Amino acid sequence: MIKYKAYMKTPKNIRNFSIIAHIDHGKSTLADRLLEYTGALSSREMTEQVLDSMDLEKERGITIKAHAVRLTYNAEDGNSYILNLIDTPGHVDFSYEVSRSLASCEGALLIVDASQGVEAQTLANAYLATEHNLEIIPVINKIDLPAASPEETRKQIEEAIGIDCSDAILASAKEGRGTKEILEAIVNRIPAPKGDDSNPLKALIFDSWFDNYQGVIVLVRIFDGKVMAGKKIKLMATGDSFEVAQVGIFSPKMEPVPELVSGEVGYIIAGIKMVTDTKIGDTITGADEPAKEPCPGYKDIKPMVFCGLYPTQSHQYENLRDALNKLRLNDSSFIYEPETSLALGFGFRCGFLGLLHMEIIKERLEREFDLALLSTAPTVVYRVTKTDMEVVHIENPSRLPETYEIIEEPFVLATIFVPKDFIGPILDLCQEKRGVQRNFTYIGKDRIKVEYELPLNEILWDFYDRLKSISKGYASMDYEFIGYRESDLVKLNILLNGEVVDALSLIVHKDKSYYKGRELSEKLRQIIPRQMYEVVIQAAIGNKIIARESVKALRKDVLAKCYGGDITRKRKLLEKQKEGKKRMKQFGKLELPQEAFLAVLKVK
Amino acid sequence: MKKDTAGTLRSIYIGGGTPTLLSDKCFGELFRCLKDNYNFSSDIEITVEANPGTIDGSKIDAIISLGVNRLSLGVQSFNDNELKTLGRSHDSEDAFRSIETIKIAGMKNFSIDLMYGIPGQTMDSWRDTISKAVRLSPAHISAYELTPEEHTPFFKLLETHKVSMPDEELILEMYNHAIDYLAGFGYEHYEISNFALPEFKCIHNLNYWDRGEYIGTGAGAHSFIGKMRSGNIKDINAYIEQLNNGIIPESESTKLTSEETLKEFIFLGLRKTEGISISKSQQTGLNIVDASGTLINEGLVEIVEDFLRLTRKGIVISNTVIVKLFEKLGL
Repeated sequence: MIKYKAYMKTPKNIRNFSIIAHIDHGKSTLADRLLEYTGALSSREMTEQVLDSMDLEKERGITIKAHAVRLTYNAEDGNSYILNLIDTPGHVDFSYEVSRSLASCEGALLIVDASQGVEAQTLANAYLATEHNLEIIPVINKIDLPAASPEETRKQIEEAIGIDCSDAILASAKEGRGTKEILEAIVNRIPAPKGDDSNPLKALIFDSWFDNYQGVIVLVRIFDGKVMAGKKIKLMATGDSFEVAQVGIFSPKMEPVPELVSGEVGYIIAGIKMVTDTKIGDTITGADEPAKEPCPGYKDIKPMVFCGLYPTQSHQYENLRDALNKLRLNDSSFIYEPETSLALGFGFRCGFLGLLHMEIIKERLEREFDLALLSTAPTVVYRVTKTDMEVVHIENPSRLPETYEIIEEPFVLATIFVPKDFIGPILDLCQEKRGVQRNFTYIGKDRIKVEYELPLNEILWDFYDRLKSISKGYASMDYEFIGYRESDLVKLNILLNGEVVDALSLIVHKDKSYYKGRELSEKLRQIIPRQMYEVVIQAAIGNKIIARESVKALRKDVLAKCYGGDITRKRKLLEKQKEGKKRMKQFGKLELPQEAFLAVLKVK
Repeated sequence: MKKDTAGTLRSIYIGGGTPTLLSDKCFGELFRCLKDNYNFSSDIEITVEANPGTIDGSKIDAIISLGVNRLSLGVQSFNDNELKTLGRSHDSEDAFRSIETIKIAGMKNFSIDLMYGIPGQTMDSWRDTISKAVRLSPAHISAYELTPEEHTPFFKLLETHKVSMPDEELILEMYNHAIDYLAGFGYEHYEISNFALPEFKCIHNLNYWDRGEYIGTGAGAHSFIGKMRSGNIKDINAYIEQLNNGIIPESESTKLTSEETLKEFIFLGLRKTEGISISKSQQTGLNIVDASGTLINEGLVEIVEDFLRLTRKGIVISNTVIVKLFEKLGL
C-alpha cells in the first residue's frame, strides 16, 4: 500500500511555469535558488544544479531533457501555492521539446544575462512562449557582475521581443538576490490553470524516459479530467491503450499521489515498455471515455541530421548495436538502422535532431559504452524525386540515384545576433554559405539582428565555429526549419586508387563542387599516411574526374641503428607504429585513418 | 660477478664518446680489472671506438699490447663540408692520417663508420666517400643513415630550417649504391647497416641480433641478462654518485614477457640479412612461414632454405614489414 503525503490543491493555487534563457544566462542556478528557497531541497541536499542530472548536461551547461519539479510556496498573501517548474532544453536541436514544455505552462520566466544582453536563443524561446500565449516575466540576471548593464538589457528586451520590461525583476541567482520577488511574481502574474476535472481526461506528454524497474515514465500536464491508478488510458496519436499503475509528482524526489487532476503536472507509469510509444506532444486520454480532440501542436518529429557510425574494430559491431538500443530507450528522437559500407563494413546510419544531439549521442556511446567509433561526415536529408516520380529521402549521399528529376534540400531561417562591429564579416559568411537575407534590424544601439534563409547543409560544416570566431564569441544564432527547396546539387565521389569510397561521398552545390573536390582531395592527401603503394586520390562528379592528388608510396623507413644494444627503445618504437595502425580502417590494401572520413568537415 | 659466475667473454666493446681520450694508464687499469673478474675466450673480439685525430701510434701500440684487436673509426664522411654540417671536430685529412697510423701499427681488423643522408650531401660526394673508404681496405664498414635526434644542436638547425634533410629517393639511392658497390669489393652486407670482408663480421654486434647476453657498464649503457633488459642512467655524475653509494645505477629495467621475447626474436633476427631461422622459430611456436604469405607475394620477404629474410625491397621499409609480421603473428 502506497502512503501518500497529504497536500491541498485547487487549480486556483497551482502555477505552471518554465524558465527560458540563452545558454549560460543562469537558468539552472536560478532553478536551484527556487528549489532552495521553497525548501524543496535543503542546501545540504543541493548538489549544484539539480535539474541537470546527466553528467554531460553539467559539463556542457545545457539541459538535454525536460524535467518537472513541484515546489510549495507560502506566498505573501498568506496562501500556499503549488508551483510546477518545467525545465526546458536550451538548444535549437530540441526546439520541439521546448515547445511542448511551454505548451504545458501558463507562464515563463525569461532570464537575460545583464552583462550579455539579448541573444538569439533568448529571442527564439521568447517567441515560442509568446506563441503559446504565456505570461512572460522578464528577469534580468547576473546584476552582481561588474559588466552588468540592466538598463541596456531592459531596452534590448523591449525592442527585440516587444514585451514591457518596466516591472522586470533584477536578480543575481548566484547571490540569491531577487528570488522572493520572482516567486511572488509567479504567484501574482501567471494565471492559474483552467480546465475541468469532470471533462474526459486530456493530458499532454512533454517528456518520457525509460526506467529499468518501472518501465516508461511519462511526464504530463493535465488539461482536463483526472488520472489515477487503475484508469485505462489511450495515447491518441498511436492509439495504444494501457492501464495506469501509478501517478505522482517530483518534489524533486519521485512521490506517488492518489490522482492528478486538471491543471496539475506529474508523471504516469502505465506498464509502457518503450519510449517510442510515448511520443512527445501526444495526448493521453481515457480509453473508455476519450476526449474529442487531442491537445494541439502534436508533430511527429523527424531527425534532421544523419551520419554513419561504425565500430573501429569490427568485432564491436554487436556492442554498438546494444549501446544504440539502450540509448534509444530513453531518446525516441534519435533513430538508427543497420547500414553496410564498402569502405567501413557493418555499421549504422543514425539520425539526430541536430549537430549537438549528434555529438551528445556519439560522446555517450564512447564514454558510457567504451566504444571506439568511426563516424562519417554528417549530412542532411535530401528529398529526391526519381525519374519514375517516386519521392525518396536520401540520408546517405552514396545512395543518391545516378539520375533523378528533382533534388531538394532542407532550408532553415537563421536568426543571428551580433554586435555591430562584426556585422560585415558575418554578412560575408552568410553570403558564402548561399544565404538569402530576410531581415536586418538594430536592437539597442550596438547590436544587430539579421535573419537569413540558409541551406541546412551549409551550416552543418563549420558555420557555427566561424560565426563565433569572426565575432570573437559575441554572435549567437538560432534557426528553425522552413522547408525543402530545389537546389542545383551534385554528388561528389572520392575515388582511392580508382575505387569509389562510399563513406566519403557527399552532396554539394554545383557551383562549389570543383572547389570542394579539389580541397577535399588535397586534405585527404595530407591525412592519408604513406603506404607501400601509391594512393591516387580522385574527386569525381559522375564520370568526370575534377581533381587528382597522390600519396607517394612509402619507399623507406628510417634505418636507424640500435644504439649500444638499446633494444627496448627499438621495440617500443615498433609497438607504437603498430598501435597507430590499429586505429586505421582497412580499405582493400589501403589503410585509412579516422580523420579521412571527417576530412570533408575541414574543407571551407 | 666473479670470474667463476660471470662466464666467458666473447667480445668487449669500448665505445660511446671517445674512449681513446683515456690515458694509457687508465686503459691498463681497465684491462687489469676486466681480466681479474672475467675469463676471456681464446678468440675474443676486443674493439675500441676512436675518432680520427684522437689516436696516434703510441696509443695504438699501447692498447694493442693490452689485447685490443679491433678498432672502429668514426670517419662519417671524407667530405669536409659534410663533417662541418655534422659538427665533427675532425676533417678528412685527420681520417686519412689515423687510418695510416692504424695500418702502420699492424692492426688489420678495423672498421670505418660512414654516414649518408647528411644535409648537403650529393650522390657524387657519397660515391666519393665510399670509394675512398674502400681504397683504405678496412675489414668492416658500417654505413648509417643520419637520424636527427631531438635535443641535439643538429636537430635545432633542422627545426629552424638552417639545414634540410636530403630527399628520400636520394637517401634510398645512396643506400642501394653502398650495397652494390661494397659487394663488388667483397664486402658482405650481413646486417641492415653493416658490411664486412669474410671472417670480419662484428661478433659484438651479431650478439645483439642473436639475443645473446651482455653486460653494459658506464653511463647510458645497456645490459641484457637472463630475461632482464636494463639501461644505466645517462647522467655521468649521477652514475658515479650512485655507484659510490652502492646503488645499482639503472634508470630502466624490464623483464621481458614471452610476447616481447618473440617480438625481439623477429625484429632483431630480421636485421641480419641472412634472416630468421624457420626451424628455430617453429621451436618458439611461431609459424612465420604462414604469417609471411602476403609479404612474400608482395616481394618484401623471401624464404631461402631454412631462413626467412627481407628482400632488397623489404629491407628499406623494414619497420613497416616487421609491424605487418607482428600483426599476422598476433604479437
